[in-house]
Order: sequence, then C-alpha cells, then structure tokens
Amino acid sequence: MSILRKLTLIAGLSVFSLSASAEVAVIVAASSGASPDKGAVANIFLGKDKSLKPIDQKSWTPAKDAFYSNVVGKNEAQLKSYWSGLVFTGKGTPPKSVDSDAAVVGEVAGSGEAIGYVDSAAVNDSVKVLFTLP
Amino acid sequence: MKKSTLALAIALASAPALALEQGEHRFNAFGTLGVTYLGGEEDGRSFGIEGQTTDSWRGDQLSKFGAQLQYGLTDTLGVTVQLTAKADQDTWKGNLEWLYLSYQATDELMFRAGRLRTPIYMYSETLDVGYTYPWLRLPDEVYGQVQLTNYEGFDMVYNRGLPFGNLTFQVAVGQAKDRELFSADDQYDIDYDDVFAANIALSTDYGMVRVGYAESSLKDGFDLRPFDGNKGKFTSLGYQYDQGTVVVNAEATKRVIEGTAFPTLDAFYVMSGYHLGDFLPHLTYSQLDEEGTGRQSSWIAGLNYQLTPTVVLKSEYKRVDTSGGYAGQFVETRSEVITRAGRNALGLPTANYDGDIVSFGVEFVY
Repeated sequence: MSILRKLTLIAGLSVFSLSASAEVAVIVAASSGASPDKGAVANIFLGKDKSLKPIDQKSWTPAKDAFYSNVVGKNEAQLKSYWSGLVFTGKGTPPKSVDSDAAVVGEVAGSGEAIGYVDSAAVNDSVKVLFTLP
Repeated sequence: MKKSTLALAIALASAPALALEQGEHRFNAFGTLGVTYLGGEEDGRSFGIEGQTTDSWRGDQLSKFGAQLQYGLTDTLGVTVQLTAKADQDTWKGNLEWLYLSYQATDELMFRAGRLRTPIYMYSETLDVGYTYPWLRLPDEVYGQVQLTNYEGFDMVYNRGLPFGNLTFQVAVGQAKDRELFSADDQYDIDYDDVFAANIALSTDYGMVRVGYAESSLKDGFDLRPFDGNKGKFTSLGYQYDQGTVVVNAEATKRVIEGTAFPTLDAFYVMSGYHLGDFLPHLTYSQLDEEGTGRQSSWIAGLNYQLTPTVVLKSEYKRVDTSGGYAGQFVETRSEVITRAGRNALGLPTANYDGDIVSFGVEFVY
C-alpha cells in the first residue's frame, strides 16, 4: 500500500463526506436546560465530566469523524488508545453507542440527561441544537 | 493452570456472542504477537526479568493475549474478569489476572475488591496491553525491577474533574501469596505480605503527571540473599504527553529493600516521538543504577505504524551496556552470581555485558 495511494484514498473519502453530509449538530432534549460549551462536551464524551450522559455513534461515520476531530481533538486511533487505557485498567468505559442518527435523536429526546451528535438533517422538534460543526 | 487455559478458551470462543450484547456486558480483548532477538552478547547469555531474550529469535517474551469481560450486576455494582495467556519462562500459561467486584459509590468514587493489578509503575495496570504504550518492550531498566503484577485485596479510585483537567487518586491494600520470583536463572516462591500502594495522577492539556508509591513485606524461599520479611519500597514519578503530534514519556523510580544484601536501585527513562501520519518514530534513553555497584544503560530506537485504528505494527532496536562490573539484567547462573559477589567483595574486577536487542511485533485491541 503506497502512501500516495492512501493519500488519494483519503482525499477521495473527504470529498465524498463533504457531499454526503452538510453539518453535524450537537443535541440535547428539547426540554433540557443544559448548555455545555465545546470543552465541556469534549469532557462528557471522554467520560471526564459526568453531568450529562453521552450517546455515541457506533460506527465511524463522517459525523463521528467530524465530531471527534473538531470537538474532542482525536482521530479514531487516538480515541481507541484513550479508551483502551481506561477499559483495561477498569477505570472507565466508553459511552453507550447506537446504530444510527435516528437512534441518537430518539435516545437524546427520551432523556433530559442525554447528549448526542448527528448529521443536522436528522434533527427534529424533539431535540435542541447546542451548536453545529461545519 | 489447565483450568484457566480452558476458561480462556471458553471466553474467547464465546466472544462474538458477548460482543453483540449491549449495556449489560462489555467484552474487550488485546494481544501482542512479537519476536525478539539478542545479538552481540558473546557468551550467548540471555536478558530480561524472564530470561527469554536470547540469541535466537523467540516469540515467547513479547507475545501475550488477553480477554476481559465486565458485567453490570446492578447500576453501581459490577464484576470484571481478565484472563491472559503468556509465556512464563519457557511454558505458556493461562492466568486469571483480574477478578474483582467494583462498586461505584458516586460519580467520582469507586471501590473494588478481589484480584487486582498492582499499581506500581506508570504503565503497571496495562502492562500486558502493549497497544496502550509506544514500545514493544517497555524500558527494561525501569520495568524489570518488580515482578509482582497482581494482588488480592481492595482498592479505592477517586476521580475528579477540575477546571483545567482531571485528578485520579488510588489507594490499594492487600497481599500476594505464593508468587514466582525469577532470579539467578531460576524460579523461586515469594510471598508479598501487607501490600500497600497509593498513587495520584493529574491530567491536563500539558500532559499527565503521576506519583506512585508501593510497599510490601517480602518472604521467600530464595536462599542466596533471603528477604526474611524485609520491606520492599518502590517509588515512581512519571510523565506522559501525547496530543497527536509530539509524544513524550518519562519515568524515574527508586527501589529500596530494607535490611538485605539487595542494594538500592535508581532508574529512569526519557522517551520522545513524533507522529508523522500513521508512523511514529521514537527514541528512548533508559538507565538503571545499582547503588555501589554499577550501571546498565540503553538506547531504544523504534518505529511504529498504525495499520488500522486498533492494530499497530512496531519495530524496535535496543542497545544495552553495563558498566562498573554490574551484570544488570543479563541473566547469570547461580554460580556466576556467587562468583561475582565474591569478586566484588574482594575488590576484584568483574565483567561488563553488552548486547543488541531487535524486536518486531503487531499489537491489537478489541
């Protein structure tokens, strides 16, 4: 696998993800009064801040990639490494994860304590958008 | 031994089913498949706390596999079991590395009871999970001083978020009976009584600083230099930094065994690396001083490649030298140990050793 080929592949994928998704919205339940800023959201998804319950996306979707690189500052390997250090010391477990944007919206809408992120196209009246990511 | 091997086989076989479950179960696994070779040591001597690095390519010092299952009994009470398979001397063994109950008293405070990992070094609790640190072989000079990896007892973990980071405080008490001690090319039984360990770690944007202390009364059947219930004390100061570009790891340690012929050991390593895309080249200097005797020092140059987010390929070259007539972590036989001690006592010169250690491996987490 040449580096050039890999770069081409990465470039291709980013073009694809740009056209496939518009924005990523960080959401809480419509009734929730919580309004954590970007830094607090990062800590919530890293298990360092337990004020809200994070709902994660199961697979590494474009939305998940955008969320983790913009808000948390970690790529997939760095995130895996971070959780390995906690899981294998018994000091933490990764957030609950669900299969789709619709499932995240459902979980978040159903609990005043939950927070998630989805492609902004999946947002409906049951949830409130804290902020969006390009 | 057979029983735990069987248990591991069952755990591995049932992995997919458990992995499909959500919420109540959590299954994770890790492994290292690696080979290591010691060249340039003239007498074909072996190296390391298990004596498995020799002048033939061997896979049993670095390779290891583990599986971990966590199960929530209630929302706050959980049980965790971790099984590992690794080579102990020349034989593969299944180990029940962890089996404990955990109670999450508050968001910040957790109590655990059972068989737990001994928190001695900065990377003690993930010693077998090579994926969590950059080396294939942790710097032997620091990580080859205490052979105890788990104990039976209790611990308390307190974790608190701060405006500028995160603070973790851990206290552990217990004992570890009937463990094995590798010394003078042989295995001895050892009891670690009254194990006490405490550590505090502060993580911020500027990295993680950890200070740790551990002590235990040592009793053994090792007749050359018996411990006789003397207290062993270990102190470690560590630092980790990895925000995606520059990587720094450093740790300094001191080991004291009171009232015996074992001199105090002072050791440290400093490591730096740089993420270049999926590659991580890194360089480490590591040193071990036996007070009044001599020094072992080494340079480690490594190159890692992140194959997928859960698989990393690692290669490493380590140059190790001893000076001052100190055998360091090169393995000597019983008669060689006695001869060296005698010559040292009489002020006669003793040999230094050196070698080149090359290692390749692949590590994964699941």
